[in-house]
Amino acid sequence: MSEPVISLEHVSRVYDTGKVLVPALEDVDLRIERGEFVAIVGPSGSGKTTMMNILGCLDRPTAGRYLLDGTSVEDLDDNGLATVRSRSIGFVFQSYNLLPRTSAIENVAAPLAYQGVARKERLARAKEALERLGLGERLHHQPTELSGGQQQRVGIARAIVTEPALLLADEPTGNLDSHSGAEVIDLFRQLHATGRTIVLITHDVDVAEAADRQVHIRDGRITA
Amino acid sequence: MKLGDLLRLAISRLGTGKLRTGLTMLGVIIGVASVVALVSVGQGATSGINSRLEGLGTNLLSVTPGATTTGATRGALGSATTLTIEDATALTTLPDVAGVAPELTSSRLVAVGSQNETTSVIGTTPAYPLVFAYQMWQGSFLTQASVDHSLRVAVLGNTTASNLGLGASSIGSTIYISGLPFQVVGILQPKGGVGFANPDDEVLIPVTTARDLFVGTDSVRTIGVSVASQADMSTVTAEITSVLDQRHGIGAGGTPDFTVTSQTQLLSTVGSISTLLTVLLAGIASISLIVGGIGIMNIMLVSVRERTREIGIRKAIGARGRDVMLQFLFEALLLSVSGGLIGILVGVAASAVIAVLAGWAFTFNPVTVAVSVVFSLIVGVIFGVWPASQAARLDPVVALRYE
Repeated sequence: MSEPVISLEHVSRVYDTGKVLVPALEDVDLRIERGEFVAIVGPSGSGKTTMMNILGCLDRPTAGRYLLDGTSVEDLDDNGLATVRSRSIGFVFQSYNLLPRTSAIENVAAPLAYQGVARKERLARAKEALERLGLGERLHHQPTELSGGQQQRVGIARAIVTEPALLLADEPTGNLDSHSGAEVIDLFRQLHATGRTIVLITHDVDVAEAADRQVHIRDGRITA
Repeated sequence: MKLGDLLRLAISRLGTGKLRTGLTMLGVIIGVASVVALVSVGQGATSGINSRLEGLGTNLLSVTPGATTTGATRGALGSATTLTIEDATALTTLPDVAGVAPELTSSRLVAVGSQNETTSVIGTTPAYPLVFAYQMWQGSFLTQASVDHSLRVAVLGNTTASNLGLGASSIGSTIYISGLPFQVVGILQPKGGVGFANPDDEVLIPVTTARDLFVGTDSVRTIGVSVASQADMSTVTAEITSVLDQRHGIGAGGTPDFTVTSQTQLLSTVGSISTLLTVLLAGIASISLIVGGIGIMNIMLVSVRERTREIGIRKAIGARGRDVMLQFLFEALLLSVSGGLIGILVGVAASAVIAVLAGWAFTFNPVTVAVSVVFSLIVGVIFGVWPASQAARLDPVVALRYE
């Protein structure tokens, strides 16, 4: 059996507000194998956002070990984390988070620029990713000229253009109507079918149904 | 991230807010333009003065009276009235002297018919054109006889002649200096005006006539001495000093009541003064460059605040702190350097206009331009680094949630 994409061992994250220590994650163990589609489900305040920040290498655990794609990340400095994000993680956000005043194709090409890929190749790969998501006609549209569903598809294209080991989606349907939401979930199913590892973070139990496995989180602990 | 990508990002960013970009650049534009223009004006003025002084003849020694001393108070140089026409005459006998021209100057109203102007009326001797490097245009210069007999004859500077409406046919006509009639015997060729004083605006009359009619004393303001050969300058200076010391009864160790100045001394004095002025002007102008830099820093800090979320996104998709830092630094640099380049164009254009107005040769100095470019680059770096490092240090978790 190959090594897991994600391996959390006794991971805790405590916020120091200056007066009190607020634990957001406590002693979490989690393994996600290559090619899995996992939903992390929990109500607001359960620690899902902290979980997402840690899994996405935007934040470091205060205790415990985190192996992402075989690399231990808890000791990395800011630059090291940035490199890991660039190479191994694709983010999909609830509010799309596309770069403003930047066309769809430039948005999708942006992560490749940080990998040092030449511009010509960047644009070619971005175009290919957008076409794969059915946005071949919208390459040069600004985010403001796209519907929510289209923006989210641009966001997904941007997340997969680097071929990351982990696709991390934070409430990707949260801002969408049910029809567009269903389309996005369907896209994740399709990506999963091509062998991608996907972690979907949501409070919505129905959305979580799309995943193969559900991990429930409450008060900073995994409950099921 | 590659250099070309950073540049492309910066250009597209600055293109999206043209008014803001323009206003921010304006500070640098004004700063650089004023540095370039003022330095060029300073150099133009310097070379103008230099060519005027060189036009006087490089073999020229000027003898001027010393300062008056009243009790313990020493007056300005030249305030004493110790040099006389006889001193000038005495100097003509020195062996290596080619000519001696005293100047007995007063400002007078000169009139012909209904034309009149107030100009310098200089009493001098026939050696004047030789000493001060003038050529005749029409007629002839003052003769020794006219000096000996205090004749009422005048030679006009070219500008004066044309101001009074006199031309080639006017030789022999009569002009009125302070109401007294003088016969025009000659008109000088123009020497070319350079900026401040016009050497062609003057009326020359015999020194004796000037003494008798206008000045009343025979104390002269300057004695110009033309030395036969440049190699003899220091010898002649010593000879002049010894002759005048003797005539004025100044013993060894006494304070002379006159000064002998050579053209080279004058040139180097003027040179150092005008260099000082140029540096001073450039210094004042560079203050506005610093103000422009602060404008850039201000706009960049606002920009970092406004684009916090964008910074968060960029970090999430793999930008390192360095990438974000360089992105903002490049924007600041692009602002300052393009402002600098526009400023150079404006400054060069302004100095060309000033040169034409002031009548000196327009000098384009590539060193100033290079220094300005480097200076605006430095301004961009100094005032861009802090906002850029603020951007680079943002925590991606916080930045992504920033509204």
